[in-house]
Amino acid sequence: MNRKIFTALVLILVSCGLFCGLALSQTGIKKKRPLPYEYGRVVIDNYSEKANLAPVVFEHWIHRSMFTCRVCHVDIGFAMKANGTDIKAADNARGYYCGTCHNGKMVVDGKNVFQACSRKVNVEDEKRCERCHSYGQKVASDFDFFQFSQPLPKERFGNGLDWEKSEELGLIKPASFLPGVSTPKNSLVVQKDFALSPKVEGMPDIIFSHKKHTVWNGCELCHPDIFMGVKRGTVKYSMVDISQGKSCGACHTTVAFPLTDCQRCHSKPVQP
Amino acid sequence: MAFEAKFFKARFWAECPAKFETRLKRTIITVLLFLGLAGLCGVRAVGGPSASASQADAAQESWRTEFYNICGKTEDAMTFSQEELTDLIRRCDSLQPQIEKLDESRKKVYLERLRKCRGLYAYVLDAKRKEKK
Repeated sequence: MNRKIFTALVLILVSCGLFCGLALSQTGIKKKRPLPYEYGRVVIDNYSEKANLAPVVFEHWIHRSMFTCRVCHVDIGFAMKANGTDIKAADNARGYYCGTCHNGKMVVDGKNVFQACSRKVNVEDEKRCERCHSYGQKVASDFDFFQFSQPLPKERFGNGLDWEKSEELGLIKPASFLPGVSTPKNSLVVQKDFALSPKVEGMPDIIFSHKKHTVWNGCELCHPDIFMGVKRGTVKYSMVDISQGKSCGACHTTVAFPLTDCQRCHSKPVQP
Repeated sequence: MAFEAKFFKARFWAECPAKFETRLKRTIITVLLFLGLAGLCGVRAVGGPSASASQADAAQESWRTEFYNICGKTEDAMTFSQEELTDLIRRCDSLQPQIEKLDESRKKVYLERLRKCRGLYAYVLDAKRKEKK
């Protein structure tokens, strides 16, 4: 009798396993949706673990509230992909990359920005190192996401915040110029918004706003690295490519509002 | 005669230290001063440390000024003619070897920045050429 029950249990377990396996093979493994404070988080491990340090955890939300994308990705020179910059501690110590601002001298909101990396490190510096080299560690941050996000207008996905509206309302003031680093430029002549027709019938047209994008990015952040097509309509974009991080997906799968927020791009009212 | 010579020698060596010391000191100081002056003039003439440092500063300043002059125009890229864009691309290309001589960190940062702004000018130029066709 016991043997029969045991065999039945084994059979049930095996069939459950097979069923789950089949289900997974058909649908793939579902990615965990990041929580609002995790969205945009980048883990950088160019050399950290080789130097017996935890990888660096970079939070986009706090940095993007202070600086436009262009300041970091054009003027400072951070790549658009995690681990693509090949940042070394020596670079930071010389005042480049993270060290451009994290130099112990720069003042933001009346506070000195802590120094990122230094040539000589003693035991007391360990805590300072851990502020960035914090992957897998319990490190208390100076900034609390929930406190920070409380007064800002909300959105459904990503960080759960409407960054654009936040800037319009003057609740955040991202700087677009870093003295001594940024290239002095004239103000940009804004290109007109344009509509792109989607491939799927019945789907509202995409209204691409050059203004929204150029205010934070400038021109050279997107052209030609991300968008190389010169004439409108010559390059076909697909949602599959975008979800894999190409074209719009370079930002809209990582930092800017995610692809799940369909109507923010497919925004042209459908004519009856 | 031999006695006189001996006496003279003895007297000389007896008086010598004080006289010789002062003379020697004087000579050494004069020679050193002369050498110092000559060195200073020579260094100036061939462009020594101070001159090379200022030259290096000037060179550093010149690449940076040129960099800002070129890449500070990206926002106006669409308003430039094909000739102007071609000239900007040429200037980017001639600036690149100067940036390649910088230290590792600066080289990495500024080559990437230069690549981005050159890329934009080439992109706009390409767009304008296709538009004409």
